This record gives sequence, C-alpha cells and structure tokens, in this order.
Amino acid sequence: MCAATPSSPAAKAQRNADRKSNAGSTPDPWEACVRLEYGGDRSLAWSVREELLATPREGWPQAEERLLKALALPGGTEAGRAFVCQMLALVGTAKSVPALAALLKDAKFTESARYALDAIPGPEASAALRDGLGAVEGRAKAGMIGSIALRGDTSARYSLAAIKGNPSEPAIVREAATRALEHLANAKA
Amino acid sequence: MNPVFPLSRRRFLQQSGLATAVAAAPFILPSGLRGQNAPSKKITVGIVGAGNISDSHFGPLLGDPENVRILAVCDVDKERRDDSAARVNQTYGNQDCTAYGDFRELNRRTDIDTVFVCTPDHWHALVAIDAMRNGKDVYVEKPLTLTIQEGRALVAAARKYNRVAQHGTQHRSMKRFHDVAEFVRNQGLGRLERIDCFIPPNNRHVGATWKPEPVPAGLDWDMWLGPAPWRPYTSLGCHYNFRFISESAYGQVTNWGAHYLDIGQWALDMDGSGPVEVEGRGEFPSSGLFTNATKVDFTVRYANGVPMHCRTRFEGGGTVRFVGERGWLDIARNKMSASSNDLLREMQAPGKKIQLPLSNNHHENFFACVRSRQRPIADVELGHRTTTVCNLGQIGMVLGRKLRWDPVKEEFVGDDMANRLRGRAMRSPWALT
Repeated sequence: MCAATPSSPAAKAQRNADRKSNAGSTPDPWEACVRLEYGGDRSLAWSVREELLATPREGWPQAEERLLKALALPGGTEAGRAFVCQMLALVGTAKSVPALAALLKDAKFTESARYALDAIPGPEASAALRDGLGAVEGRAKAGMIGSIALRGDTSARYSLAAIKGNPSEPAIVREAATRALEHLANAKA
Repeated sequence: MNPVFPLSRRRFLQQSGLATAVAAAPFILPSGLRGQNAPSKKITVGIVGAGNISDSHFGPLLGDPENVRILAVCDVDKERRDDSAARVNQTYGNQDCTAYGDFRELNRRTDIDTVFVCTPDHWHALVAIDAMRNGKDVYVEKPLTLTIQEGRALVAAARKYNRVAQHGTQHRSMKRFHDVAEFVRNQGLGRLERIDCFIPPNNRHVGATWKPEPVPAGLDWDMWLGPAPWRPYTSLGCHYNFRFISESAYGQVTNWGAHYLDIGQWALDMDGSGPVEVEGRGEFPSSGLFTNATKVDFTVRYANGVPMHCRTRFEGGGTVRFVGERGWLDIARNKMSASSNDLLREMQAPGKKIQLPLSNNHHENFFACVRSRQRPIADVELGHRTTTVCNLGQIGMVLGRKLRWDPVKEEFVGDDMANRLRGRAMRSPWALT
C-alpha cells in the first residue's frame, strides 16, 4: 500500500482527525498549575510562568485575574498554591490582597501568602500583614514581623512594641519585633 | 576564655577607648598601642558550612598554625561537621575545635574573631550579618549573596558594625588578573571594545520529575533550607546541587560568573558602580528539579558603551577576554594568552600611571586587614557590585527583555517586575532585619 504524501487529502484528513482526537487532552495550564505536586511534572506551571514573565505591564490585570481564579480553585495543593503565590508576587496588586489575606490565616499557606504580600506594593498589602499578626504565632509570626519591617511600615511600630514587651510571646517573636523596631528606626534615620 | 587571645582585640579596644578612634580612622594602629593586637597573636576562626567550598579554606588555614586557629565549625549535616572538626583537631593535636549545628551558637562565641561563610548561597547574607552583628569579621564565599537586596543589606551591616568583610573572589589576589585589570585600566589595549566572559556549563540532568525522600539521620533539613522556600527533601537537591535550583543560587551565573565578571568590573573601574543595561536569552529547563539556565547568554552594557557578554562555553572552561583596538587579552585561572606577545610584555612593564592594589593571597590579605582594620582587596561593596552584575544577568535572562539599570539607586528603570526580582521574602522566622 502506498503511503499518503504529506500534502495529500488523506494525510490532511488524518492530521485533522489527530487534532480532534487530541483536543482537550492538555488541561488549561492556568488551572492545572494550582494542582502542582512537589516532584511532579511542572511543565504546565512553567508555561504559565513564561507567559506571565512576558506579559507587558498593561496585561498584568488580566494575568492577576487568572491567577486569582486559579488560587480559588478547589483541590489546590501546597506546591500549586505556593507557585500561584510566587506568580502573584510578580504581578499582584491591591486586588490580590483579600485572597492572600485569607490564605495568610491558613497555617498551611501562611508562608506562600506572605511571600506574595511582601512583594506587593501599597497600603493594602501592608495592612493585611499587620492584621495577619493576630492570626499567626511562633515562627510564622516572626517571619511576618520581618516582612512588615522590610516594607518600612512605620505604622506597625506600636503593635511591634507591644509584641516586644509581651512576656507571653516566645523569644523568637520578641526578638523579631526588637529587630524590626531597630530596622524601622534606622530606616527613618 | 579565649585560649589564644587572653583578652580579645575587640575587648581590648573597647576597654582602652580605642574602638571609636579605630572606627573613625580605620587604619593601622599606632605601634605602641598594639598590645593584644600584635601580629604575633593568632586570629581565631569559625567556619560555617563544611561542604565542598570549605575544603578550599581548611587546607590553607590549617597550614598556617602560627597565625590562625580554627576554633569551631558549623554545618547542618552532623557527619560533615563532625568530620571537619575531627580534621581540625587531628591537625592541631587537641580537641579544641567544636562542631555546631546552628551558626548562631558559633557566632555568639566571644573568642572567635572571624567567620568564614561557606554555606549555600541562600544563607550567605543572614550568616554574615549575624556574625558581624556579633563582632566578627567575615570572609564570605562568592557570590556575596543570593539577591541584590541581600547584598545591599550585607554591605550596610559591614559598615554599621565596622567589620572587615572580604568577598571570596580570590582572583582579586592572583597577580595575572591584577595585571590584566591594571593594563586595561591604563588603556593598554587602547579603547576597550568589549569584554567576553565564558563560564562552564551548568546543570546536571536528573530527569523531569523527582521524588521526595526521607530526610537522612543527622541532617537538619529545616535549617539547610533556612530562608529558602520550603520543599521536601531530595538527595538530588541537597549539598552541592543547591546551585542548580534558583531558590538557592543562580547556577554558574553566580558560581563562575562571580569570578570572571568581577575582573571585568575591576578593569572597568566599576567597583562602586555597575552597568546601565542588561539583555539576556537563557535556556531554562521547563521540567525537573533543576531550574537554573542550562545555557547562559546575557550582555550588560556600561555607561561608557562597553558591553560585557557572559556566555556558557561547553568546552574549554571559564575565561575572561578583553578586546580593544590594539588587540585582545584572554585570561583564566591557569592560563593567559594575547593577540600579540607585545601586549603581554607591555602588561608586565613597570611604572603604570594607574596602579591597582596588589594582593598575592586572599586569606593573607583578609587576615592582614583584620589586624590593620583596613578594607580588604575584595571588600564587600565591590563584592556586592559584582554579585549584582550576576543578578542582572539572571533577571535579564528570566525576563528575556532589555532592562535599564540605575547603579546609583540600584533599581531597574521602568520595569516593575524586574524590580520585584531584586529581592525575595525569606521563610519564617528568617528576615533581613
């Protein structure tokens, strides 16, 4: 039997059939990325990242919207949500803050949410971090204090001073508050 | 009590009221006031990170028992720290070297003068800053830090605490690199047209996927990660291989790049500044554990118009080549060539108008500065500037577009995303405060 040439009608029909048979077999990377597993295939997440990095400033709102949709999907994994938060750290704005602030209170995702909030400029993200102080404790609280200090959020001084002087706080938290206050004072000077 | 310094130099200076004077004029102490700071006194050392790179320090330091005494080693891997401490104790014939699993314990010892930071890159800034806060002088392996933000914080700490801080770019203490930088600085090549840096290839391949593994006994994985984002342990991503994962390092861009780009910076008289533009096209793996570029290709451009290219060379190793209107000079750690022998002869001729400081031994230079309180040959400001060039290359390749850089403000011009990549939040409880 003769093989069809690449340009023959039979070959074209076969290619069309192949396309149809493959349609839908690859999930939307913007949805799949939130189900990333540590050690798993990250090629879909990578394609999201590549698209995001190439997005011009005017395209950020749309990209942010897609990331927030992904973050809200059920079944998000620890690695997947961490990835989405990493991406929000690049393009996130005040619009992302409510979702991240909610995530901040979930111990499993506190760190990832903080990484994103840490990078988002503006008073909304600063307020979310300050509010978050009441929702976390121990190491996570120390980390949050560090983020607040490095953002230069001087409005947190009273909260930090209270934490520093609170004997019921663990040493790691009080030390973080002490350093944060020093940092804010130095930055002001 | 310090078995070597009955009264430490720092405490002596504080008690004698000299600390302020030294801070104001950090030069050589008057000879009549040396006392406990006399050159005959040994400088005490703690080494943080007992892996691959620390081997290049243990040998020379242990080989100088008249001047240097290693008192402590620290590593989050018990086997490594115990082996290193045993090596030190065997050499000295005693049991004085203590092994620590937490660098903060080592840094708080009052009998240790200097700390060598030999950890994975994501730890450099925190370990060094903590050491300086506790009064230690530091020798920080290259790259100085993982991010630009960390580098500026480390330099600020060195100045705030008046510490001697040496960057581990030992090419600065190799005469051939000195001579080339000085020759270029004196227009020996005529008008400089470009600099080409070649760095060795990067990642090992470990497959598209990987499996989390149980953390081995004796390894404190949480402390190994430190400020880096959490991920489960895999033997493929621990110890030496940290450099291939962007949460910990930027591959050969910051490994070998820190050496060769540094010589470009030196020759261009950019130790306190840097390029104004970067553009890159790296090839990054889209799957698997390793995330750093397998093929590096970026160009930074300086305000005088000179470009410095940095590319992966798959055969032949690292080198830096200066190309000018009179020819070229190509230099590596163990070889040097030129477009003509005349250039090599001229390079060796004495009496150049601009003379660069000469050091022939990076360790000796550091220890001499610890005694004299002068700035070392690879002071952390220039270390930070060189590491920034590495970072610019990395960010340029990641974003794949031309970026403008303001070396005074240390920020990208008109690119918010690039600016967000200058630093990163640290995992709790760590912070750059």
